[in-house]
Amino acid sequence: MAARTEQVPLGKVEIEESFESLAWKWMRYSALLLIPLAWGHVAIQDVLVGVHRIDLDYVAMRWASLGWRVYDFALLAFAFAHGVNGLRQVLNDYIGSARTRRYLGWVLLLLWLVLSLIGAAAIVGGVRIS
Amino acid sequence: MQEIRLNVVGLTRYRGQEGQLSFILHRLTGLGTLLFLAIHILDTSTVYFFPSLYQHAVEIYRSTPMMLGEIVLVFCVIYHGVNGARIALFDLFFPESWTIQTQRRSAYWTLGIALVLWVPAAFWMGRSLLVYNFGL
Repeated sequence: MAARTEQVPLGKVEIEESFESLAWKWMRYSALLLIPLAWGHVAIQDVLVGVHRIDLDYVAMRWASLGWRVYDFALLAFAFAHGVNGLRQVLNDYIGSARTRRYLGWVLLLLWLVLSLIGAAAIVGGVRIS
Repeated sequence: MQEIRLNVVGLTRYRGQEGQLSFILHRLTGLGTLLFLAIHILDTSTVYFFPSLYQHAVEIYRSTPMMLGEIVLVFCVIYHGVNGARIALFDLFFPESWTIQTQRRSAYWTLGIALVLWVPAAFWMGRSLLVYNFGL
């Protein structure tokens, strides 16, 4: 049988909105936001300040400013959701059974929810100096 | 006739070349960063849930193997960001430029930009490692 190919003009394909198409857009738009957010965080904390100057007092000092708490909250929300959805996409490439994929999707959603809530609680609650 | 290359077990080899390599590198750097991020959310949240444990976590990050890992992590974050920007920009704004030639060239540019950004960061972090852990 001869292979049938159809010429579709690039960039003009209409795709029906679905969870997957939203996830596709989410990865790209969150990426553009994460570049300044994540790079800024890494440049300051890992390169300029360094782990040897980070301790409880440093975190308390940083989170004394509302701006940094909002920054960290945005980083947590965007980076972790971007990462867990990326992990879902990678796993989907290796899992043949639709049932297992669906099951794993719920496991990843739960993982995302639990860790995001733990992180968010810490940012809202702040440093508890005992 | 076009040549078909076989690998040692006689299977045809997938010749994705630059595009395939940047795909693999994008996945590895992404998964590596996610693994660290998950741990990092937990260790940072100890400042609220178990403040006495936070110093322990920081001590672990100050060890030589972890500081070397941190240098690798920074490469992962930079490469994944540059390559992610490439994917997002082409997909969202210039989909007609997804041709093999453009992709091949942009894959090299991506690696080059990532290395240029990473080398000064790695130098600075390597310097901290020598100063704090080896008394330089």
